[in-house]
Amino acid sequence: MNIRYILPFIEAVESAFGHLFHLQPRALTPYLVRKEEILDWDISGIIGIAGEAKGVVVLSFPEALALDLTAMLTGEAKTTMDDEVTDAVGELVNIITGNAKKGLEEFRLLISLPSIVLGHHHQITWPSGPIPIVTIPFSTTRGHFSLSVGLENIIIS
Amino acid sequence: MRILIVDDSRIMRNIVKNTLQGLQYPAETFLEAADGDQAWSILETQEVSLLLVDWNMPGLNGLDLVKKLRATAKFQSLPIIMVTSEAAKYNVIEAVKAGVSEYLVKPVAEKSLEEKIRRVLDRRTP
Repeated sequence: MNIRYILPFIEAVESAFGHLFHLQPRALTPYLVRKEEILDWDISGIIGIAGEAKGVVVLSFPEALALDLTAMLTGEAKTTMDDEVTDAVGELVNIITGNAKKGLEEFRLLISLPSIVLGHHHQITWPSGPIPIVTIPFSTTRGHFSLSVGLENIIIS
Repeated sequence: MRILIVDDSRIMRNIVKNTLQGLQYPAETFLEAADGDQAWSILETQEVSLLLVDWNMPGLNGLDLVKKLRATAKFQSLPIIMVTSEAAKYNVIEAVKAGVSEYLVKPVAEKSLEEKIRRVLDRRTP
């Protein structure tokens, strides 16, 4: 695995969580995802990547952490997975992906608008073809989450 | 002084608004739009002193809004700060070529936002 292309995403997660939530997420050991895998999360924000490399970035949370992070952004307690939570998760995956592009400047990349998948144990429809998906689990003092990245030709070398 | 904040994320619009209110901009300063088309409608009908615009939005995106504004005589000197997650240098260059006055990468730090606003407004003062 070429860790060089994973680092911009880890750095973007650390920077975004530090600025927005004053949290210091710790990246755990990355692993390759099986595409049929059912995710043990409640909400995922997804961004498609096009341009000189094609791929996808998926940011996934358990409900409690998604509610907690949204509450920190809005300043109001959250108890239900409503539009504010999907807005927060969408914006987070957008910030992380956009910031990570700075570390991948040898490839001119375009990012899509975020989309959201909700539901316990949901499944992601990953891009077809041989794009390897690397998941980086993160731990914080408020709970765990994960970032999955698949970028054709450049994540695995 | 009217500041138009254009972002498809309501949470981000609120964060920017709250940050500016912390810098003593009163609540009545702010106008909001969720995409470039809404922003264009507001700009055509209301006086706006400063535009803060996201890049990636549905409908008319921020970059295309900036190009449209700069191609319109009455908006050629409107101060525009692009506030976006797009952090790559080639994105900054593209935005500057399109006509943004300043470029700020999300997440927004209060101090950077304050400095960029002061800079674009100072530049406008004769």
